[in-house]
Amino acid sequence: MNLARSIYALARADFLERVRRYSLLLTILFAGFLGYGAATGRIAVHLGDYRGVYTSAWIGALVALVTTCFVSLVGFYIVKNAVDRDRQTGVGQILAATPLSKVSYALGKFLSNFAVLSVMVLVLAIAAVAMQFFAAEDPHLDTVALLLPFLLIALPAMALTAAVAVLFETLPVLNGGVGNVVWFFAWAVLGIGLPELSGKHWLDPMGLTTVANDMIAGARANIPGYKDSFSLSIADQPSKIVETFRWHGVPWTSQIVLLRLGWTAAAVLIVLLAALFFDRFDSARWFMPSLRRAKKLPPPQLAEQANGGTALPAKPAVAVHLTPLAATARGSAFFRIFTAELRLALKGVRWWWYAVAAGLLIAQFAAPLEISRGPLLATAWIWAILIWSAMGSRESRFSTRSLLFSCANILPRQLSACFLAGVTVAILAGAGAGIRLLLTGNSSGLLAWFAGTLFLPSLALALGVWSGTGKPYEGLLTAIWYVGPMNHTPGLDFTGTASGPLVIHYAFVYIAMSVALLAFAFVMRSRQLRSD
Amino acid sequence: MQLKVENLSKNYRGNVQALRGVQISLRPGILGLLGPNGAGKSTLMRILATVTRPSSGRVSWNETDIAQNPDSLRNTLGYLPQDFGVYPNLSAIEFLEYLAAVKGISADASKKRINELLELVNLADAAKRPLGGYSGGMRQRVGIAQALLNDPQLLIVDEPTAGLDPEERVRFRNLLSELSGERIVILSTHIVSDVEAVATSIAILAHGQLLAHDSPEGLLASVAGKVWEVVIPSDQLQALRNKHLVSSTAHRSDGVHARVVANSAPGLSARPLEPSLEDAYLATLSAQRANEHAGAAA
Repeated sequence: MNLARSIYALARADFLERVRRYSLLLTILFAGFLGYGAATGRIAVHLGDYRGVYTSAWIGALVALVTTCFVSLVGFYIVKNAVDRDRQTGVGQILAATPLSKVSYALGKFLSNFAVLSVMVLVLAIAAVAMQFFAAEDPHLDTVALLLPFLLIALPAMALTAAVAVLFETLPVLNGGVGNVVWFFAWAVLGIGLPELSGKHWLDPMGLTTVANDMIAGARANIPGYKDSFSLSIADQPSKIVETFRWHGVPWTSQIVLLRLGWTAAAVLIVLLAALFFDRFDSARWFMPSLRRAKKLPPPQLAEQANGGTALPAKPAVAVHLTPLAATARGSAFFRIFTAELRLALKGVRWWWYAVAAGLLIAQFAAPLEISRGPLLATAWIWAILIWSAMGSRESRFSTRSLLFSCANILPRQLSACFLAGVTVAILAGAGAGIRLLLTGNSSGLLAWFAGTLFLPSLALALGVWSGTGKPYEGLLTAIWYVGPMNHTPGLDFTGTASGPLVIHYAFVYIAMSVALLAFAFVMRSRQLRSD
Repeated sequence: MQLKVENLSKNYRGNVQALRGVQISLRPGILGLLGPNGAGKSTLMRILATVTRPSSGRVSWNETDIAQNPDSLRNTLGYLPQDFGVYPNLSAIEFLEYLAAVKGISADASKKRINELLELVNLADAAKRPLGGYSGGMRQRVGIAQALLNDPQLLIVDEPTAGLDPEERVRFRNLLSELSGERIVILSTHIVSDVEAVATSIAILAHGQLLAHDSPEGLLASVAGKVWEVVIPSDQLQALRNKHLVSSTAHRSDGVHARVVANSAPGLSARPLEPSLEDAYLATLSAQRANEHAGAAA
């Protein structure tokens, strides 16, 4: 009883802390936006040129698919901060000194994550009801048919998302930016890849294949000549539909229901696994850098360092003379701020990162030009994602805002220097492709390359300053990288290789976007300077 | 050199008044800003450090409004916030070099200055270690060093001795005394002994209002002849507390020795004592509370 109470209390406190934040409003707005997209046909399921009549079953399944697909992707980034918040606020230290078990803690955080994601599911379920009302293709509202997909498809998927978020937070390698990038690929595998790759329809954690297969079967039975195509797409305008057919929904057999409940149980198992890895706010359990470094220190310091934090041996007070600073010692020193920002950006980066970056750079020189300026350049740039994602948010993350914001001319000097440091990283990482484009006189390609070097850090700076965290950039850039350069989608390919004859046009679009993003970052930082 | 605060107020969301019409003028010297938790000290510090804007009123540095032109002050400001962070992967030297660049100090000057400051705050031996491995007290000393980087004319230190061990506290107090010559130092704390040791003037803030601003001697004079020691059985202590302001107690073999601040002797056996700043501080707060109660009753 006490166990259940402590799990509930933990989940409740975490949930309340989240719902009282401004960010929840954005979360609900995002869910509302998805609902609006589905209701207006901009986000839609198409079976070739066909779709189902907007019955309760179709709308329920459609919106549940949209929910599962997008809320699980974005929702992960929204909820993956429950443990980190306790770490940052110091509440974790208090909790660590209580009898609260690691399992209880992980379950509490899981429930809080799940509750936040469920709020988004609820908003979309309400949107689904409204959608049927406004679409007016079928006046009969079948609440069970409409809501069961949310209950059996969306909610188990949210449970998995919530659980993986807790697991990632407890794993030292995945609790930061690496985890944010990894999630994009994990989501693709969990959502689509697993049933496709394994050929086993039941291996469908997100439930997308379960619904899609039944819709395809419905289309086959109703439409002669239908060729098994299925897509869940986002478009500027509602797509043209040749014909509709009546689909009666997924037959919720006991086997399907048990499978979906099984995935919910799997979520709980993931949480238990997370509890196993959870360090109970004792970071020394995973990494003991102080101990490693201590090998070089004299013995008295070694003993103190092993305790995790570290006072130097007492020294008698000595009078030290402070030389007054001459008036000539002051200046704008922009270059020094730039080098300091660059050093700050690269500090802490491990040797293997440089080794891979160097390998990618050499490959850009060695590979055929189209591969060099395409996938190799894109990979070299995505490799630097965690360096850029710290831009603009570092001051919030490490609580140095009050130190920096009380310095003179901080806005134009520090933010510009930070941006230029980011551009420098982009130039260095992509230098191989850039130099080859220059040497071959490919001016349009070089322009696209240049636009990329501006766009990547400016997007990072804007999102970092706005959000105070690197997560939006890590999630968004990974998605753009996958859809754009790796899948050759013109417009989203920031290397410019997929743009074809429109390469100059898109390069200027990216340069214009970079300027707009920079302006946004400056305005936001200026507001922060005034309102802090 | 003058820092002038005129009718300064700060309101937060939810109708919370952190500061109410604060008025104070400072010349070179050390101002000890005392007040209980939640008095508005940190809000005042943040406004003076140009990190927060006031809701109303004006702060001027050498006749220039710092809300209109914050850089006029920032160029000569050293600020140690109550809560601040560091970049854990940087060493103390690298962190200070970074802030020196941001503060616009030339490379040569900053190098010398950083070395001196690290000696001064007793961190020279650990200067090349990543800040992530520093203890709380060591980080606080890095904070003190960064506040002094640009040889500030106005030095604002908010709870600077928090986390420091007694030896470092003494060291820091001495440092403040040495620095105070031709600059204004504002030391915010709730530890009276820190202020007692170094302050040339003292301001007392409570509930966002400035209750007193005077020299230590002036404050002591306000309670001269009003501090007493009485010796009572321990079971009478609560009754004494209910009737008078008891600033400290000590249990001895003959009973409880209570230090009482009162206009007249609290009993026949009361013995007059030399007043301390703590007595003056507590008496000021007590008087303010009494005024509030009287106002509420009326």
